[in-house]
Amino acid sequence: MAKTTRREALGILGGAAAVGLARPAIAQQPQTVKFVNVVELSGAGVTSGTNWRDGIELAVRELNAAGGILGRRIEVQHLDTASNPGQARALVTRAIDQDPYILFGPVFSGSVMVSMAVAQEARMPQFTGGEATAITAQGNPYIFRTSFSQVQAMPKVAAYLKDQVRAQSVSIIWVNNDFGKGGRDAIMAELQRRGVRVAIDVSTEQNQVDFSSAVLRAKNANADALFVYLNEDESARILREIRRQGYDKPIIGETVLPSQQVIELAGDAANGIRGHVGLTVNAPIPAIQDFSRRFQAAFNRISDHNGIKGFFAVHVVNAVTKRLGRFDRQAFAEAMKNIRITTADAPGVLMDVSYDDKGNLDRDSFLVEVRNGRQEVVAVLPPIGRS
Amino acid sequence: MRTALRIAALVAILAALIVAPQYLRNYGIYLLSLWSLFAIAAMGLNLTLGYAGQMSLAQAAFLGIGAYAVALLVKAGVPFWVGVPLATLVAFAVGLLLGFPALRVQHHYLAFATLGFNVLVYLAIRNEDWLTGGSMGIGQVMGFAGMPRPSIFGYSLRRGIDFYYLCLAMLCLSTLLVWLLLRSPWGRAFAALRDNPVRAESLAIDIRAYTLLAFAIGAGLAGFAGAFYAPLVQLFDPSPFGLLESLSLLLMVVVGGSGRFWGPHIGAALVLLLPHWLQALLPAWLGPPDQWYLFVFGIAVLVLLTWCPGGLLAIPDRLRARAQ
Repeated sequence: MAKTTRREALGILGGAAAVGLARPAIAQQPQTVKFVNVVELSGAGVTSGTNWRDGIELAVRELNAAGGILGRRIEVQHLDTASNPGQARALVTRAIDQDPYILFGPVFSGSVMVSMAVAQEARMPQFTGGEATAITAQGNPYIFRTSFSQVQAMPKVAAYLKDQVRAQSVSIIWVNNDFGKGGRDAIMAELQRRGVRVAIDVSTEQNQVDFSSAVLRAKNANADALFVYLNEDESARILREIRRQGYDKPIIGETVLPSQQVIELAGDAANGIRGHVGLTVNAPIPAIQDFSRRFQAAFNRISDHNGIKGFFAVHVVNAVTKRLGRFDRQAFAEAMKNIRITTADAPGVLMDVSYDDKGNLDRDSFLVEVRNGRQEVVAVLPPIGRS
Repeated sequence: MRTALRIAALVAILAALIVAPQYLRNYGIYLLSLWSLFAIAAMGLNLTLGYAGQMSLAQAAFLGIGAYAVALLVKAGVPFWVGVPLATLVAFAVGLLLGFPALRVQHHYLAFATLGFNVLVYLAIRNEDWLTGGSMGIGQVMGFAGMPRPSIFGYSLRRGIDFYYLCLAMLCLSTLLVWLLLRSPWGRAFAALRDNPVRAESLAIDIRAYTLLAFAIGAGLAGFAGAFYAPLVQLFDPSPFGLLESLSLLLMVVVGGSGRFWGPHIGAALVLLLPHWLQALLPAWLGPPDQWYLFVFGIAVLVLLTWCPGGLLAIPDRLRARAQ
């Protein structure tokens, strides 16, 4: 190679390093408070991440319009993990360099698992949309959920299968990623504990398109019900395949399967599915229905549970910070232990909620059924602490 | 004179890389550390693809073999500095084992064979969760803190900046070793069998043995990078070692300039750093949506490879050719 080539090549490397990395420090304006949201805005988690981001956006816009938090205007920055845990880890490092008050995201549990230690080391409170049990089982005092963990939700699903559906055997189809594996392990344990036989246990892949084999196996297993635990896009695909093959047993899901996003993607194929959801815009709660209308007006679509989670997270931060009367991350993390926030004190949290000392939350949840392309709540379940 | 200029340029770049962390925050230092390790893995692929002409889509699998091997060895009580050569050796040996059957085919057939191997390794890591932690990550078997960062002569490399200097030192060492290898009779044999295998064979070069060796050394370099990737990220799951990452490593080699010595270094810088830089810059210029960076990055790569298929390092040659 000629020497000019090498010099230019080396120049490009130096330039890329200098321009790409040497960003100036972002100074915190005294009248603002900064949030950073590291979430899945592309890749397999784009549906979840986009709803989560828009829930945060709506809460921030409304709070800013009402004067911000403790008089400070909120600035929020959204960073895309591309649904890649490695990128999530790098971006959490970047977020912490910017010295935000609170970190939001990710939603995918695998990305949370590999990145939350970075936030913990920086003593940065982090609100996650992840539902894997392991997230709050590590003793990290700075991580807080915005939804039930799988070990909280699955007992309700298993009880529903046994007592309401009266299933003596169940087929399970799950997605083999951090989310699906955690859910599958939790439901298996709960079903076995209640004496319900697992007829077949079918693993599928993230981004899988063809579910004909999985559905056929479930159909041939001839169990009393089918429990489906996949991500949004895959849930819609499998529902279409289930209808195509004429499967006629009850189809039960948890959170994702009966979610609004899946109903929109699956169309008529979603009719008749039932399940448990921690959050739904169809809940018989005026504050949630009002949130849903505002979300739809702002983003021209119906929010799913992740949109509510993002909105809720910002309002928890608002409520706890107001109680503290100051922006202090350490005090915030300590104040979150065993806290109870009611809608009377903080209407933005939408439902009364309690946190334990590990970052798990507890509140009402819902049994739903999809009828005529709409999710309808058939029962409200009390918080686990009161059930 | 030319050699003196090259050495001066190299020293200047190295000095910039040594000084850079003083002006960077943790994020920049972390990305530079990642770049150092991915440049090593890409150098291995450049050896296999660029010098020996063998298309491999399994480089991320070897990176993963190195990362998981060193993590499990450390978990079993083996010191990190013993674990590194062992992990490199494991990746080298697996490369040899894969190479024996896979190298019976060439070009896109070899690409598919190695692609299958990458998927196999990914599934094995993900499904054998009793050993690897599966999709919940290595923290499930090593504890929440994950893979600890090592010490050297009693000095802890726990801080990001200290670990970066270790990564940079490993990159320099690997670069030197590959440079020596390419100037040895082995390196000349690699190039000979890429350029004209029939003529190489007529010169008594054992094509099968040298192809296998290039493939296994490439795998070993990825394993070596993986052994340092594990303590860099500390907590990891199988996703960085899937097929997409192998394609990303291939992109690094092709974008930098396949078969050019500094190609992997430049390519790794571009493919790793450009998306992060664009994601920081574009929202201020273009506003929502937040995913503009993916669009712009894709277009940039498309334009580059359409206009200059030889990669970034071929641009001056192309400009000279146009001038003539």
